[in-house]
Amino acid sequence: MTTQIKDLTVSYQDHDHALLALDRLDLVLQPGKITALVGESGSGKTTLGKALMGILPENARAEGSISLGSAQILGLDEPSMNQLRWSQVAMVFQNGAASLNPVHCLIDQVAEPLVQKGIVRTKAMTAARDLLGRMGIDADQAGRYPHELSGGQVQRGLLAMSLILDPPVLVLDEPTAALDAMTKLFIAQVIRDLKSAGKTILLITHDLDLARNLADAIAVLYLGRIMEYLPGTDLVDRPCHPYTLALVRAFPFMDGMRDLGGIRGDAFYRMVHAHARENGRTHAHVHVAAPDAVHQGGHAPPQGCLFQPRCTQAVAACSIGDIDFTPCDTHQVRCIRGGIARILSFEKVAKSFGRVKALAPTDLTLMAGEVFCLVGETGSGKSTLAAIAAGAVVPDQGRRIFQDRDMDTWMKTDFASLAPKIGMIYQNPAESVSHRFTVFDIVAEPLRIQKPVPDPETMRARVLAALADVRLSTAPEFLKRYPHELNMGAIQRVCIARALVHAPDLLIADEPTSALDPSVQAKVLKMLLGLQIEKGLTLLFVTHDVGLARKVADRIGVMARGTIMETGPAARIINHPKQTCTKMLINSARGMSSQSLASIPDYEKENICRF
Amino acid sequence: MPIICWIHGWAMHLDAGRHIGKDSWLVTGISILLFLGFLAAAGPFLVPHDPYDISFSPLRPPSADHWLGTNDGGMDILSELVFSLRNTVIFGVTAGTAGLVLGVVTGLFSAWAGGWTDQVVMRLADIVLAIPSVMVLILVAAFFQPSPVVLALVLAGLAWPTTARGVRAQALALKNSLHIKAAQRMGGSGRYIIARHLMPELFPLYLINFAAKTRMAVFMEASLAFLGLFDPGEKSLGLMISYALQYYYLDIWSNWLMPPIMLLSLLIMGTTFVTISLEKMFDPRLRKTV
Repeated sequence: MTTQIKDLTVSYQDHDHALLALDRLDLVLQPGKITALVGESGSGKTTLGKALMGILPENARAEGSISLGSAQILGLDEPSMNQLRWSQVAMVFQNGAASLNPVHCLIDQVAEPLVQKGIVRTKAMTAARDLLGRMGIDADQAGRYPHELSGGQVQRGLLAMSLILDPPVLVLDEPTAALDAMTKLFIAQVIRDLKSAGKTILLITHDLDLARNLADAIAVLYLGRIMEYLPGTDLVDRPCHPYTLALVRAFPFMDGMRDLGGIRGDAFYRMVHAHARENGRTHAHVHVAAPDAVHQGGHAPPQGCLFQPRCTQAVAACSIGDIDFTPCDTHQVRCIRGGIARILSFEKVAKSFGRVKALAPTDLTLMAGEVFCLVGETGSGKSTLAAIAAGAVVPDQGRRIFQDRDMDTWMKTDFASLAPKIGMIYQNPAESVSHRFTVFDIVAEPLRIQKPVPDPETMRARVLAALADVRLSTAPEFLKRYPHELNMGAIQRVCIARALVHAPDLLIADEPTSALDPSVQAKVLKMLLGLQIEKGLTLLFVTHDVGLARKVADRIGVMARGTIMETGPAARIINHPKQTCTKMLINSARGMSSQSLASIPDYEKENICRF
Repeated sequence: MPIICWIHGWAMHLDAGRHIGKDSWLVTGISILLFLGFLAAAGPFLVPHDPYDISFSPLRPPSADHWLGTNDGGMDILSELVFSLRNTVIFGVTAGTAGLVLGVVTGLFSAWAGGWTDQVVMRLADIVLAIPSVMVLILVAAFFQPSPVVLALVLAGLAWPTTARGVRAQALALKNSLHIKAAQRMGGSGRYIIARHLMPELFPLYLINFAAKTRMAVFMEASLAFLGLFDPGEKSLGLMISYALQYYYLDIWSNWLMPPIMLLSLLIMGTTFVTISLEKMFDPRLRKTV
């Protein structure tokens, strides 16, 4: 049964305020398809489920329409809703055990809807036993009380309960939360079977792994609005909205390589206010509020993109007007930049130093907010590419586009406005700072170079903020220290602070930790990745260390012979390398012997890289 | 202000007190120079007579009134000596400073500009270096009879290439160092980088070159004066030696000939000692103890 949700707005009244849970939501659920609804807690996922079931609480106010086949659910009176509930649309509730009655045994509760429908009790019990059996719960277990069952059994029991009347529409709210992997797999199979049986399924989940495996389509919900609508298979490899990317980055996928990164900032909830203005009229507006926020009268309603404060690629236009869907690939994204923007792209960029061809014509695309790792052996052109990206080296040919502007023209006409947008961290921290500068001078240098030079107080404040960002002391004694008085890790932190003091959009790190010992390296990297998330930076990370790259990168580019041989998501490159040189690189990194290196076929014939 | 920064910057690297105190060459050199400097600066106010006063009886041996006696013109030798020293020092310092500035500016400019500019400037330096400066100075002094300051500037104009070469070589090496590349990438202009990164880094070169140039100028001045190519009315250590030598058959060597030779030697020795120890201090390869 096709379920159509149109323009659905749900708010919860709370004294003078109302909490906006869903905002003009449009969604179509097709029979035989699984639609997954993902998003952080508080994004309104469960509210949608409850709205479909017609069990919104008393204080909820819903507008718009939900049509279940020909029936309109919204605004239906209780008796007619009762007709539909369980028989037409059923829901598996989150937090399983709590939604079972502790004084009845499981099978009684599963059979109850049948009994309610007026079916003879014995028949109902048999049907319930059959169904529970199909869910892997035997007669003995079925006769137990909820507290005598495991979490997985309860979850399966609840699933059976929702299926007992064979409803065409199913809402599954976190069906696998708190379940172990084996049980999860079982439930996933059950859901897949239900899909093939032609049911319309709405899967509400935090579990992106489940969503990408089961769902045909995924709707990404943020503060009550759908930010992206995408095919399930694209979730991990090709998210289009920065929020989707951030969610994916935060999820512990089994094949994920990178250390988990959260999403910067916090989402709380949206409040609808109506309060008096000076002219005596009331004024209703919506804004995003933190739980501890004190409301101040007369402020402007929020405008533009909801995700903008946390976004990695927000521009001024993001805070204007209402953002509508735009197509991006096969997805629909609510982003005026048309999804994740390209921050830097190279088209056939090449560079020679005299007779040495350092970089063969190479294409490269960096997306805003990602960590892109360039790996490759020494002399493969990594550093040259990084230097070209940083604007330190001018390529012989090719085009560089940075933030939708031609970088070469930009550099020639107005390098001063380009330089602060790109921060650079070097391989050798001690050499990249003048030994004659104090810590303060080092961090303040970019500010001093940039015109107009800020006044001393602003400069000091910004230097201190940058040092605090890299977890260094801001004590006056420390500011007066010279590099030779610090250890390598601290100097590299100072260098990172220097690179960040202008709040760049792109940070280029050329082997930033190769001069550090592993424990310091771990600390510095952790901090760097933390900053990447916090500041929404795009990071171009150059390293020869594949082991390091897989802990850091969202995407990896493998360089050999002066060009990029292969690019892809980190997990794909590491686990399923396609090019021979990638395989060689990864195998060498795994410490395989030369014999096993030689056993990799065809490398002579392919003649791709010099291994 | 930047100069204070540089010196402060250097002090931290040298751990000034420890190094300077230990180096006996430097201590001796600086003591000599301080003594002579004091003499040159304050001497004219301390001496008992006007050195141009010719009212005394000539060629007198040392006495209570004239500690070093009087010369052939009836002038007080001690007063003359102090004034001569002052003129010689002024000549040396002028030539040293001018030569240093000229050398540093051309060297830095040449290194930073690179390419053709660099080639042209350096070939020019080679040409100047090939000219025998003594001969040029003799000719200039003989034909134009310029004032000592002008002569010092001419000397500086002949002496800059060695400094320029040294500065250029160092600047070229520095130009490729990472912190300068970093500053360039941050958008630092040539002026900024030269002022904030290159010039302070070359500080030891300035000291060494200044000391060497001054020493050379002092010696040159004495030579020219000795050859009689200086205004005979001026006071100069070289002139004094030259005049005294004309009366070598009299018993004047200890009170007339010896003092200017001693002062000149001390001046040259002092600057030499300081130059040597500065070179040692800033060039780790010459430093015995690290």
